[in-house]
Amino acid sequence: MQFQLKHIVPTPLKDIFSQRQSDIWNKDITFLKEEYIKIKAPSGTGKTTFIHILYKLRHDFEGHVLYDSTNIVEIKKDELAIIRQQKISIIFQDLRLFPNLTAAENIELKRVMQTPIYEKNIIHEMAEKLGIVHILKQKAGLCSYGEQQRIAIIRALVQPFDWLLMDEPFSHLDEQNTHKAAWLISEECAKRKAGFIITDLDEDNHFNYTKKLLL
Amino acid sequence: MFYQLLQKIIRTASGRTRFVMAIIGLSIALLLIFSAVQIEINYNELLHGKTNQDSIANFLVINKLLNSKSYGTTTLSNNEIKNLQQQSFIDAVGILTPSRYKSSIQSFSNRFPFFTEISFESVPATFIDVSTKDWQWNEQSNYIPMIAPNMFLDFYNFQFSLSQNLPQLTQEVVKMIVFKVNITTSTGVIIFNGKIVGFSDRITSLLVPQEFMDWANQHYGSTQNTQPSRAVIRTKDPGNPLLVSYLKEHNLTTDADKTRFSKYRQIVNAIVNISWITGAVMLLFALLIFTLFIQLTIASCKDEIQLLVTLGASPKQLKLFLLNQFFPSNIIIVLIALISVAALQYILHGFLLQQNIFVSSYISAYTVLTALLVIAVLWVTNNRTISTYISLHNK
Repeated sequence: MQFQLKHIVPTPLKDIFSQRQSDIWNKDITFLKEEYIKIKAPSGTGKTTFIHILYKLRHDFEGHVLYDSTNIVEIKKDELAIIRQQKISIIFQDLRLFPNLTAAENIELKRVMQTPIYEKNIIHEMAEKLGIVHILKQKAGLCSYGEQQRIAIIRALVQPFDWLLMDEPFSHLDEQNTHKAAWLISEECAKRKAGFIITDLDEDNHFNYTKKLLL
Repeated sequence: MFYQLLQKIIRTASGRTRFVMAIIGLSIALLLIFSAVQIEINYNELLHGKTNQDSIANFLVINKLLNSKSYGTTTLSNNEIKNLQQQSFIDAVGILTPSRYKSSIQSFSNRFPFFTEISFESVPATFIDVSTKDWQWNEQSNYIPMIAPNMFLDFYNFQFSLSQNLPQLTQEVVKMIVFKVNITTSTGVIIFNGKIVGFSDRITSLLVPQEFMDWANQHYGSTQNTQPSRAVIRTKDPGNPLLVSYLKEHNLTTDADKTRFSKYRQIVNAIVNISWITGAVMLLFALLIFTLFIQLTIASCKDEIQLLVTLGASPKQLKLFLLNQFFPSNIIIVLIALISVAALQYILHGFLLQQNIFVSSYISAYTVLTALLVIAVLWVTNNRTISTYISLHNK
């Protein structure tokens, strides 16, 4: 699967963006399969807005977004669900875990939402790699932000996908944990021959990016 | 596994009281509706069934009014019978065939001396309200089965036996007695065995099977006057003014007392109508409460539902899950109501049997069909409510 963006501009921020230079807003661009794309931008320039538009969470924009050749406005709810189960996985900036489920249950939910591609023990294996085994049975709402972020990362990696969307996925992690998480993400993307789009505030070398864009 | 997790996320526990109320309302409503259907079916069975020993169905025996004017001309012509059959208020016409030979019955035993001259009548089997396998006759039969009017036995027990110092007889005892049936022919008396196999109120004469009547009339009967003079008609409403005026117009007469059955029917109809209207109104309210309950559950979990959809749960999955939460309880209610009605019907069957009224011990197919219909209505309601409110919180 590939993304095509045709002159997209978020309606609420239209005036601000029209005066600024951007590699994405109001441009005609395509993200090809297996690309590792880094989007860098300071706070308040629409990183989350952009990720949400790509994930079809927001509709308040001008221009067109296409999954392969299908305009996303034409995608129906049940088709969208299949795409989110099979093609596009996401790590939200605000994490979006179910606070009353345990860490393990939050991850399990995404593993079994579609026909699972991994056995149940994958949760333990990945948790071990990111150092959160001890909180797996704890309610997600009681975990620290750093722990929650790692739960959200693992949750995004237990499902099949062609693209992984990440919105500042390491914002609550220290250098060492960021490194571990980035390594796990690379490994899982490589296994699936998947690409990713990551947004962040600064420059970094966590991945071998094929494209770096300024928002 | 996915549904187990959904169960933890979407809590259906909120508003339990409402749920219990909806369930109780629905149960009562269904009980009323199913009962109404079953009562109606039972009533129809009594009205039109062929197996009832004392049905309240509307059978009238009619004959020409005998007075000085009609004296000697009381037979019913073929035209008159055809005309009867054509009337909309008459469902069926059966000819009563009288025996055309002299006959008498008497007891075999001297302990119980009994003799009477008698004549028989026969009528097609569909007009007989005694169901017994003994009601058949052919030339090889050991005895002639007979059906006697209850009136005859009452007459014997409460008048005749007292005056003659004879024992009183119950129906069961009479059914065990074998009588001698003498038929007088031109060449002498021919003796048959006869047995009373049942009692009836419908036709006030001693009935024998049509097969025997035809055979005996052919062999021993006089050939004069073969035209019938009595007929039995089946009508939906003996109180129908059209029927009454028709009979009067054609100089026919019948048992006026039977018109009282139309009163029974009005009462049954009223009960059925009240029961089913109340049931329908209650069902409507129960559905409303149920809908509100589903709506409340979904509304109280709207954030969770939104997040589930964001993460990729399909509306279809959520709908299936919610249907699984709500619908089985509906099916259980329907089944409980149906089983209750079935139990009531079984009790009613036993109760009425003691009074010689026969209704089926099982509930009718129509009642089961109604249950299926109600399940369909419940499914549509559940399904629509869930679909509507899921898409409402999933924009």
